[in-house]
Amino acid sequence: MAVIEVDELCKKYDDHVVLDRVSFSVEKGEVFGILGPNGAGKTTAVECVEGLRRPDSGTIRVLGSDPIDQSLELRERIGVQLQHTRLPETIKVWEALDLYASFYSRPRDWRELLEWWGLAEQRDTRFGRLSGGQKQRLFIALALVGDPEVAFLDELTTGLDPQARRATWELVERVRAEGVTVVLVSHFMDEVEELCDRVAVFDRGRVVALDTLAGLIDRVDPEYRMGFRLMDGGASPASAPEALLGNLPGVGSVSRTDDRVELVGRGDFATEVTAALARERLLVADLRIDGRSLDDAFIALTGHSFRATENGDGS
Amino acid sequence: MKSLTKLTTVETKLLVREPGAVFSLLIPLFILLAFGGSITEGDTVLLPMAVTMAIAMVGVYLLPTTLATYREHGILRRLSVTPVRPGNLLTVQILLQLVLTVLAVVLLLVVGTGFLGAVVPSGTAFAVAFALGVASTFAIGLLLAALAPNGRSANGFGVLLFFPMSYLAGLMQPPEYMPEPLAVAGRFTPLGAMRESFHSAWSNGILEPLPLITMAAYAVVLSALAARYFRWE
Repeated sequence: MAVIEVDELCKKYDDHVVLDRVSFSVEKGEVFGILGPNGAGKTTAVECVEGLRRPDSGTIRVLGSDPIDQSLELRERIGVQLQHTRLPETIKVWEALDLYASFYSRPRDWRELLEWWGLAEQRDTRFGRLSGGQKQRLFIALALVGDPEVAFLDELTTGLDPQARRATWELVERVRAEGVTVVLVSHFMDEVEELCDRVAVFDRGRVVALDTLAGLIDRVDPEYRMGFRLMDGGASPASAPEALLGNLPGVGSVSRTDDRVELVGRGDFATEVTAALARERLLVADLRIDGRSLDDAFIALTGHSFRATENGDGS
Repeated sequence: MKSLTKLTTVETKLLVREPGAVFSLLIPLFILLAFGGSITEGDTVLLPMAVTMAIAMVGVYLLPTTLATYREHGILRRLSVTPVRPGNLLTVQILLQLVLTVLAVVLLLVVGTGFLGAVVPSGTAFAVAFALGVASTFAIGLLLAALAPNGRSANGFGVLLFFPMSYLAGLMQPPEYMPEPLAVAGRFTPLGAMRESFHSAWSNGILEPLPLITMAAYAVVLSALAARYFRWE
């Protein structure tokens, strides 16, 4: 069942096209990623879905209603974490949760959320004294305190250190486990790869691809690398496998330096190579396969690299 | 209803924790006490000045800083994706700042009439001057909050406005000692009109129409402009 349906959404600011016929739908219970560089229109699209902005044209249905028209009933059922939002510096963690809980007719017990999100010790700490990770956890807790059916999380790990990012990801997994549908906006490939069931790839105001992660990568079929070390040290010419491996399906190139062999290929070539090595009874060590990543998929889908657009488009 | 009560409770706590709120209570009181030594029995000048200053500090300085900061930090936006309307927060804030103003003024009246020997003003005239004074200074604050891009600049504009307005209003030295044209111009500023009305309330209880009309005009025009230019984000 689709929880969110977006059809042909268009939005312009002055003459600048921010959204160009954007369509996607989000299924109940999934973690749906909205991925793209800064300025690709991700946040504008999500803010239209949240009812914060009015699109120029197109239709939006969230839990069956229009976010602009029926927004009061709808706001009871969604939870939102916005980018660049703060709380008053002197508000205490428990006061913020208690206050936001009072906005909803059937809120969760905020004391339970406090435990859940590891903020119990910060119960009486003022917002201004929280660390970046703690602030972010509080924002997620505030997004969930109304017991929403859909949670929107926008750039939730920006500015966090790697450890805090990992911890935040685990919490998102936990939200999903509770049965909440999650819409996750991110410009981090690794975050989307880690968390999302399906992804809409945004580029310059358009959805350039919409699929599962595996589907996106399969569709693009990017090159990837594998490498290993020959166990006999590569001393005997008989153990030189370049010719053999070079003819296997999918293998693009083979190179060798001393006992180290590197291959580049597409599709299922890594499986072919390991099978061939086993048939020839060649013992190898330090086998390494660089997984096919969303990074490569993005370049293939948009014709440019992720970083390049991020620097080039300031809006 | 539950959310409004909670919102009021939390905002009250935040206001109490705000150093600016404490300053608006203490600075006019400090000035009253500092000059109170030279006060003569039955003084009608010093309390109108202190009361005007107390009202202006909240309206021109504290109110716009608080509201512009709330917008800058996205707190109003964040509220608009909850079942509560962000307008409620504005209403609660304005009411709380009004309560703070009343407290500051009551403190001055108690100290001034109770300990320093100033006369008690005419009740009706005082109430009218207070209502129009609050309306005109809060309108200035709301317009500043509407126009300032962030809390810091709202604060800066407030301070920038506060001192020339105080001078023109005769809060820094009595108008008799000011150059004639400035003293006349001062009567048409919101603070000047307010001080003059309070002075009437203290001296004979008969309010002049001109300062009342001046304050009412500022209140109506500036709050209309504030409503026109206010942005939620």
